[in-house]
Amino acid sequence: MFYKIGVDVGGTNTDAVLINNENHIIAKTKQTTSLDVSSGIEKAIRKVLQQAKVPTEAIKYIMLGTTHCTNALVERKNLNRIGAIRIGLPASKAIPTMSDFPEDLKKLLQKHCYMVHGGYEYDGRAISDLNEVEVKECLRKMKGEIESLAITGIFSKINPDQELQVASWAKEILGDTVKISCSYQIGGLGLLERENACILNSSLQGVASRMVKAFKDTVDHLGLSSQLFIGQNDGTLMSLEQVQNFPVLTISSGPTNSIRGAGALSKIENGIVIDVGGTTSDGGVLVNFFPRESTLAAQIGGVFTNFRMPDVVSVGIGGGTIVRFNNETCTLGPDSVGYRLKEKSIAFGGNMLTLTDFFLAEGKLDIDDSFKKNIIKEKIREIIAIPYSQALKQVKTNIQLEIEKMVDKLKTEAKDIPVIACGGGAFLLPKEIAGASKVLFPMYMEVANALGACIAQISSEEEIIINTMKDDENEEMEKLLKNATIILLKNGAKAKSIKILTKVSIPLAYLPSAVLLKVKLCGDLAQ
Amino acid sequence: MRKITIEDLEYISLGSTILGTGGGGDPYIGKLLAKNAIKNYGEVTLIKAAELNDNALVVPIAAFGAPMILVEKLFSGNEFYSAFEIMESYLGRKIDAIMPAEAGGLNGVIPFAVAAKKNIPIVDADGMGRAFPRLEMVTFTLHGISVSPITQADEKGNKNVYHTINNVWGETLVGATTIQMGGSCAIGCYPMSGNQVKKAAVHGIISYAQSLGEAILNAKKHQKNPINELIEKANAIKLFSGKISNITIKTEGRWNKGICEIMGLEEDSGSKMELDFQNEFLMAKKNGCSVAITPDLIVLIDAENAHPITAEAIQYGTRVIVLGMKADKQWRTPEGIKLGGPEKFGYSEEFVPIEILNA
Repeated sequence: MFYKIGVDVGGTNTDAVLINNENHIIAKTKQTTSLDVSSGIEKAIRKVLQQAKVPTEAIKYIMLGTTHCTNALVERKNLNRIGAIRIGLPASKAIPTMSDFPEDLKKLLQKHCYMVHGGYEYDGRAISDLNEVEVKECLRKMKGEIESLAITGIFSKINPDQELQVASWAKEILGDTVKISCSYQIGGLGLLERENACILNSSLQGVASRMVKAFKDTVDHLGLSSQLFIGQNDGTLMSLEQVQNFPVLTISSGPTNSIRGAGALSKIENGIVIDVGGTTSDGGVLVNFFPRESTLAAQIGGVFTNFRMPDVVSVGIGGGTIVRFNNETCTLGPDSVGYRLKEKSIAFGGNMLTLTDFFLAEGKLDIDDSFKKNIIKEKIREIIAIPYSQALKQVKTNIQLEIEKMVDKLKTEAKDIPVIACGGGAFLLPKEIAGASKVLFPMYMEVANALGACIAQISSEEEIIINTMKDDENEEMEKLLKNATIILLKNGAKAKSIKILTKVSIPLAYLPSAVLLKVKLCGDLAQ
Repeated sequence: MRKITIEDLEYISLGSTILGTGGGGDPYIGKLLAKNAIKNYGEVTLIKAAELNDNALVVPIAAFGAPMILVEKLFSGNEFYSAFEIMESYLGRKIDAIMPAEAGGLNGVIPFAVAAKKNIPIVDADGMGRAFPRLEMVTFTLHGISVSPITQADEKGNKNVYHTINNVWGETLVGATTIQMGGSCAIGCYPMSGNQVKKAAVHGIISYAQSLGEAILNAKKHQKNPINELIEKANAIKLFSGKISNITIKTEGRWNKGICEIMGLEEDSGSKMELDFQNEFLMAKKNGCSVAITPDLIVLIDAENAHPITAEAIQYGTRVIVLGMKADKQWRTPEGIKLGGPEKFGYSEEFVPIEILNA
């Protein structure tokens, strides 16, 4: 028997679960996220270890889901000094690097951006050859001034050779301490979006290294020798080494984790998951135990990238949502007291009326240190100008309407489908929702995200453009699948568990005989 | 005559996406290109066709190629200037003004980059009033104006001039060499006199695109509903309101063909709409009956914010509104219908104007 611990660090809470090798939850906890993050993680892990009473050497894996990198980007904090080289002249000159970055981020990052000759056509021919003198001149200008370097070449997804060549010259001139990101490993087709992702990745490498070190130290400190993983945006895992190389891929792992966790808790394969937090309710769609992905370009910290993020619809309904009565009409939020519930809301002696106050007053949940039901009711009555029962009815009707609108937006077919509630604020959700065949409140729903981190799999994705006049499509597809499988195995997947998630061939409009092949595989962690 | 600022470009590029009727290439890249050019070379003057001398030389400049290539192998900028310069040297005279060939999609904004650099005006007119997938599908063809000489240039510096026996051959030959150039290039085509522009173009289309963009983006400022503002400004017919329930796409030859199914909501609850597209939306059927047919414009917009949705960005579950807009009157003549109507795209249905289909 062995065990896994999943930890999810959110803005408000740090959740953890401890599960056995059959994915059954043995222990769970919810702790307040600490300012230094790692002490919150340590507390959460310590708590589940105490509850579960299992030998520490049986904890084989610890998985972490974190918004660390997202926050660093949004707050523009602790970003690396970067350099960026785009390989593709004379093509692409008219739209320089960072053309559409928000001004503040551009200011921070743009000091060393260079464009050099090179790049490939879609069919693999070179647009121009690399010019060693030109590239090395750029590299010398950066020497001593940057901590990491982003290299992006036109159609490097078709042929990465030029990116790799520039990377090796960069090592020669800049030394081993400068971290190098090559775009072909980071994003899909679409030069600007891939370049953007590559630059963000470079800027996050310092943050990621410190986070990885803190995570390792925390686990060491607890006397655990488990293997450590961090969750990425598609619901799969990365080793700590990978995280330091590709930190940008950890962005937005949160919604994915709760959607997958809710699926596992309810054993529902297809449905809608609503994760109610302190500030918002986030709805996503579960398709075969994976989140449905958005087709729109994802913006991270105001920058367009081509990552596929889970398709999430949010409404401003959460535990801390502020309730206001204007004359006789009630409005919910969209603002929230967030993590300051215990100082600001009425039930804890504050002066803000929140959704949590109503549900405490109704005895639908218990939180330590809150006033008694009747006292809360009394305090609500003091604030509002209408009878309590009428106010409660309005609050519930508003929630019902907003949630039903959201469910309707998420649904793609007319038929009713199951809705799964999760998150710390799930008590807010109505028991019946129009458009839902049933509403499930599975056990442990409040820690679905930590479970999601825990059950995450390993995945790999590959794409290539082939020429059907030259290449055999089936053969190329087989090759692609084989490559993806090799990467999966290298990253620790169990051979027998490998499944094909996506396998598509898309002929390209206006380009006769050019076909884009794409595969995505996933597998369980080998044991 | 008026100056076009970077702010105007935001509106124009959104309006161009609407006129793109789902195709025409996403103007995002074109907008960045034009913005950078205006930043570097200054604002652009937009003139009405009526302000042109009858013997002025006007040349449409356009991007030509596969949408997928345009987002990976970005423009150098020089290919457009080259196409322009070869045309001048080939014809042995200065170009007095440029114009878009296709105001819908990417090519609605590209000419601004050239006009900024060359410091010449843009004519507020195009040859489509929308987007179409082929070079010969312009109102110029209806007036017997030749696509040739066509000038072509790629980012590497390769250049070409074509004289084709008719406008269809222009598409065929330029299409073939574009693939060898790596899937994208710039062209100058349909060199015209001021007099010809006055007769053969779709007029006021850039200002119209801008007004559509303004209707959407400014609605919020005036606390109005962007969809109603757009419908009013475009004199559009609301064909359907619903939610995307299915998408099937396949590529046949050079075109992406697909069907987008929409499940009705609100007043259309219980009904179903099918949108056919081949890059652009060509046919809208409600419960099996045609309610809009090319060359009339079929525009798919997001019900949340009234922003247009291109065919490759259609997403399951999006709440949408389908609008029908009248094509320019030149497309509604027998010759116009032959060139841009349903038969050209392999449909057996006959063209009936949307106002009659929805009377």
